Amino acid sequence: MRIRCASNPLSRNERHAISFVVSDAAITVESLQKSFPPARSGWRAFLQPFEKPSVVALDGMSFEVRPGEALALLGANGAGKSTLLRILATLLLPTQGRAQIAGHDAVLDPRAVRRQLGYHAGSDLGFYSRLTGRENLRFFGRLNHLSNTAAAQRIALLAEQFHLAEALDRQVRTLSSGTVQRLSLARALLHQPRVLLLDEPTRSLDAIAASEFRRFLKSEVLRRGDTSLLFASHTLPEVELLADRIAVIDAGRLLACDTLAALKRTTGAATLEDAFMRLTGRTPHLTVRDAPE
Amino acid sequence: MTRSLRELWFFFWRDLFIARTYRTAFLFEAIQALFGVAMFYYVARFVDSPHLQDALPRGESYFAFSLIGFVFFDYLNAALDTFDRSLEEARDSGTLEHLLVTQTSLPVILAGSAIYPFAATTLRIAVYIAWGAVVFGFPLRDANWLAVAAVLFATLLAFSGLGILSASYLLLFKRGNPGKWFLLGISSVAGGMLFPISVLPDWLQFVARLNPVTYALDAMRAALLGGAHLHAVLRPLLVLLCFSAVLLPLSMAVFAWALRRTKTTGTLMHR
Repeated sequence: MRIRCASNPLSRNERHAISFVVSDAAITVESLQKSFPPARSGWRAFLQPFEKPSVVALDGMSFEVRPGEALALLGANGAGKSTLLRILATLLLPTQGRAQIAGHDAVLDPRAVRRQLGYHAGSDLGFYSRLTGRENLRFFGRLNHLSNTAAAQRIALLAEQFHLAEALDRQVRTLSSGTVQRLSLARALLHQPRVLLLDEPTRSLDAIAASEFRRFLKSEVLRRGDTSLLFASHTLPEVELLADRIAVIDAGRLLACDTLAALKRTTGAATLEDAFMRLTGRTPHLTVRDAPE
Repeated sequence: MTRSLRELWFFFWRDLFIARTYRTAFLFEAIQALFGVAMFYYVARFVDSPHLQDALPRGESYFAFSLIGFVFFDYLNAALDTFDRSLEEARDSGTLEHLLVTQTSLPVILAGSAIYPFAATTLRIAVYIAWGAVVFGFPLRDANWLAVAAVLFATLLAFSGLGILSASYLLLFKRGNPGKWFLLGISSVAGGMLFPISVLPDWLQFVARLNPVTYALDAMRAALLGGAHLHAVLRPLLVLLCFSAVLLPLSMAVFAWALRRTKTTGTLMHR
């Protein structure tokens, strides 16, 4: 059974027809499938790039994200969250189905997709450690076709918003993980993308830094309402704080996609954790008959 | 003491087991050693030859001949290494994904990654030759700098194609590029680096004529030592440009295909 996001009442055929005319969704994912070839070692590793994909990572996923909306991908390790985000970021090619950002197809028009998206992969890697924060941001800004002046203005603005002023002129290798995370988010927003993709954005942060980062994301990025956010996480408080809707995925399948309140209501759960467990069937639900005496 | 020895052994064991996963690297390093031995065999044969001076083109000194061979071989090395190293560094530092999600096209990312290493290698070559000229009397009086620049440019284009092909292999198979080792090995013997190809057996001379390094070194020696005008080095220049015309588009297509494969298999960031 295929689950669709609650916000999208149209049938697949209807949406397919409409998407050729106009798509005002920030992100459209339609019947997306991704399989990988099996991992090989030894001399068989030479054959791996040519092997048929047989390990299913995404199994026909469909949903949309509206402009200004924040959608969380909630799932266990290996559920397919990162695979989905990497397809949208044009870093992976889907096996079947369609992924669009602001109406542009991730496979057919990847450069147009990249113009619309900012990508942050939740680690403190991804910068040139011997360059300063400013030099890094300027370099990536220029590769995103910002003029020197525009890049400088955006860097100044984002540094103020993200409390990065002091970090800008220090080598990245001297910055804390939390600061590098904020720098990475600033890089993702430098060219004013319509869509922000975050893959476990607080993965390498301690509890305090993670909490600050979430508050910051909520108050500085989502508050403005001009950026759509799709983020993967298995940190439940993060999902509850940031997401307008939550997509629960497991083994590459979309199990549910709705608001927190609706998820709790439909599963009869008191908490998001409970709703997640019930949807994924990860823990047996005790009934009066099953309960130990 | 025993514990320290055991701990040292653990480190050796770790590296051995990691290296064991790259078995082909051992094989190609062994083959590379054969090329090294062959190179010294022919250097010795050439140096021992009573007809040494006759074998050198345009009556050059062996110092000038070998210095150009040595420093321009560095160019080939840099070309083959530059794209590989940029790719590996980008992968290891995590910047590769962030480069690939920018709006900059793949050819620009590739070319951009090569500019500084090529410039640095060119500067290093200039420093070598300057030392040679100032301290050891390397003859620069007759050099035709326009022809030198043209040969450098054509060499850079031809070698870049080889470098991008090498990076494509690295992208797909992660380590141990046999093509790169083979080319470096064969070029050290049949490329005219430290001895003229005329001292080689016929079949190796034939191999040398298929190698762009041979033409690059011929043209560079003619322009730098013989003061040859542009029209005098036209033939090796055209050969180098033909290599470029085939290798550059081919290598870009192969790299784009390899990148597409890694995006399909999900191995873009794998090591």
